[in-house]
Amino acid sequence: MRELEVVSQHRRLIRTFLGGWAVCVYVFLFAPIVLLVLFSFNANKYGTFPFTGWTTSWYGQVFGDYQIKDALSTSLRVAVEVTIISTVVGTAAAFPLVRSRLPFRSGVRIAFTLPIMIPGLLIGVSLLVLLTSTFHMQLSPQTAVIGQAIYTTPFVLLLVAARLQGFDPALERAASDLGANTFNRLRRVVLPLIMPAIFAGALFAFTLSLDEFIITLFLIGGHNTLPIYIYTQVKFGITPEVNALATLLLAASLVLIAIAFVLPAGVRRARVAVQARRS
Amino acid sequence: MTTQATSAPAVARGRLRRVRLSGLAQYAGFVPALVLFGLFFVVPLALIVGYSFWETVDYNVVHHWTLDNYRYFFSVSTYVSTMWATIWVSVAATAATIAIAFPFTYWLVRYVPRSTQRLLLVLVILPFWTSYLLRVYSWLNILGDGGAINRFLMWAHITDHPLSFFLYDRPAVILVLVYLYFPFAVLTLYASLERFDWNQFKAAMDLGARPHTVITRILLPQMKAGITTAIIFVFIPVLGEYLAPQLVGGAQGVMIGNLIVNFFSGAQYTRGAAAALLVAALIVLLLIVFRRSLEVEDATRA
Repeated sequence: MRELEVVSQHRRLIRTFLGGWAVCVYVFLFAPIVLLVLFSFNANKYGTFPFTGWTTSWYGQVFGDYQIKDALSTSLRVAVEVTIISTVVGTAAAFPLVRSRLPFRSGVRIAFTLPIMIPGLLIGVSLLVLLTSTFHMQLSPQTAVIGQAIYTTPFVLLLVAARLQGFDPALERAASDLGANTFNRLRRVVLPLIMPAIFAGALFAFTLSLDEFIITLFLIGGHNTLPIYIYTQVKFGITPEVNALATLLLAASLVLIAIAFVLPAGVRRARVAVQARRS
Repeated sequence: MTTQATSAPAVARGRLRRVRLSGLAQYAGFVPALVLFGLFFVVPLALIVGYSFWETVDYNVVHHWTLDNYRYFFSVSTYVSTMWATIWVSVAATAATIAIAFPFTYWLVRYVPRSTQRLLLVLVILPFWTSYLLRVYSWLNILGDGGAINRFLMWAHITDHPLSFFLYDRPAVILVLVYLYFPFAVLTLYASLERFDWNQFKAAMDLGARPHTVITRILLPQMKAGITTAIIFVFIPVLGEYLAPQLVGGAQGVMIGNLIVNFFSGAQYTRGAAAALLVAALIVLLLIVFRRSLEVEDATRA
C-alpha cells in the first residue's frame, strides 16, 4: 500500500514535469511569432524593444510602398500559376498511384516525396544550372514557377492520394452497374468525393508558393516575391515596416491553412449529418 | 457454403476490374508528373552530377571528366572544416530536436485526451505552414544585437554592451534549426507513439518493472522505426540549410549550404556542383544506413 502511494506520487511528479515541458515547447514555438506581431505595432522605430507605444503607422507604410506592391503582385501571379500546375499534375498522378496495378507502389510514393525531403537548395541550384546553362533561359517569375511547382506538387499528390485511398470502391462499382461510363463516373462520383482534398491541396500549394524562399531565390532573377523582398531588407537590419509586412504574410498563410484544414473536416461532418438523418 | 464464400470476392474483383482502366491507360495520369519531375527534377539533378565531374575552362564548362572539383574542395581547409562543422551542427540540432520532441510527444499521447490531441498537434504544426523565411527572421528580434535578450540584459544592467554570443554563432544556428524542424519530429514521433499499446506498460509495471525499465525495454524498442524516421526528416533538411546560418550564424556559423550558394553566385558552377553532390552523398549515405526502418508512408499520411 505504502509503495503504491510512492509510485503514484512519482507518477504525478512525472506528469507535472512533462506538462511543464509541453508548456515550454509551446512558448518556444510561438514566442518568436508573437513578438514579431507585437513589434509590428510598436512605435519604436528600430522595430524592437522597448515598447514605446502602439501604432499602426508601419502598416500604412507597407500599403504605401510601391516596391512591396510590386513584390505582392509577382508573388500572387507566381502562386496562382504554381497552384494550377501542381493541382492538375498532382491530382492526375494520384489516380494511378492509388488505383493502377503499380509495381513498387511504396517505392513510387517515396520517389514522389523526394522533392519535399531533399533540401530546397539542391532543387534551386540544379534547376538554375539546367535553365540558364542548358536551355539558355532568362531568369524570370516563370522560371521560379517551375521550381516551386516541383516542391508543391507532391503535397497535392499525397493529399489527393490519401483521399482516394479512403473512399469506398463500391460507390464506383454501383455507378458502373447503373450504366455510368468512365467519364460520368469520374465527373459525377469520383470528383465530387475527392473535391475537398483537391481544394485543400490547391490551398496548400498556394500558401507554400507564397512563402517559398530558397528555390525562388535562385530562379527569380531580378524580380522580387514578398519573401525575397523581406530578405533583401533584412540584410540591412530589422525595421518595423518589415515586421508589419511579415505579420501580414503570416496572417495570410494562417488564414489559408485554416481553411485548408477545416474544409475537409467540415465536408466530412456535413456528410455524416446527412447520413445520420437518412438512417 | 464454401463455394459461395469464395465466389463472392471473385465476383467483386471481376466488377472492380471493369471499373479499373486496362493496360497502359491506367498509368496515363502519371504523364504530366513524369514530364514535370523528369524534366525539371531528375534531369537537373543528373546534370549537377555531371557538372561536378566536368571542367571549367575560361568560364565555359567543358565535358571533360575530372575529379578536380572534389580535389579542390578538399584542398581548401576552410571548406573541409565547414563540412565537418555542418555535420556536427546537423547531428547536434537533430539530437536536440528529438530530445525536446520525445518527452513532448509522450506527454501528448499519454496524458492528453484524444479529442484535444488533434488540436494540440495542429498547433505544433502550424508554424511549419508559415513562411520559412519569417520563422528564421523572427529569431532576429530575439537574438539580435538589439533583440529581446540583449535589451533585457542591458536593461537589467547585467551587461552594458550587446553580446554577440546570442547571434552570429553556432549555438544560435542550432537553436533556430531546432525551431525550424521541430514540427517534423513531433509529427513522425506522434504517428509512431499513437499506435503504442499502453496496456503493455501497465502489464510490465504490474510485473514489477520500474518506469525507466519500461521505457527503455518496451517503449523505445517499439519506437525505433518512428525515431529513425524523425531523425531522417530532421537531419536531411538541416544538412542543406542555407538561410539559418546566413541570418543568425554570421561568419562563425557558416555551413556547407552557404558555400554552395557562394560557388553558384560566383558562377563557379562545377565547384558548386561538387559541393552540392557532397550534401547529396551524405543524404544517400544516411538513407542507406537507415533504410530498413524508414516509415515514410506513415509519416506522410499523418
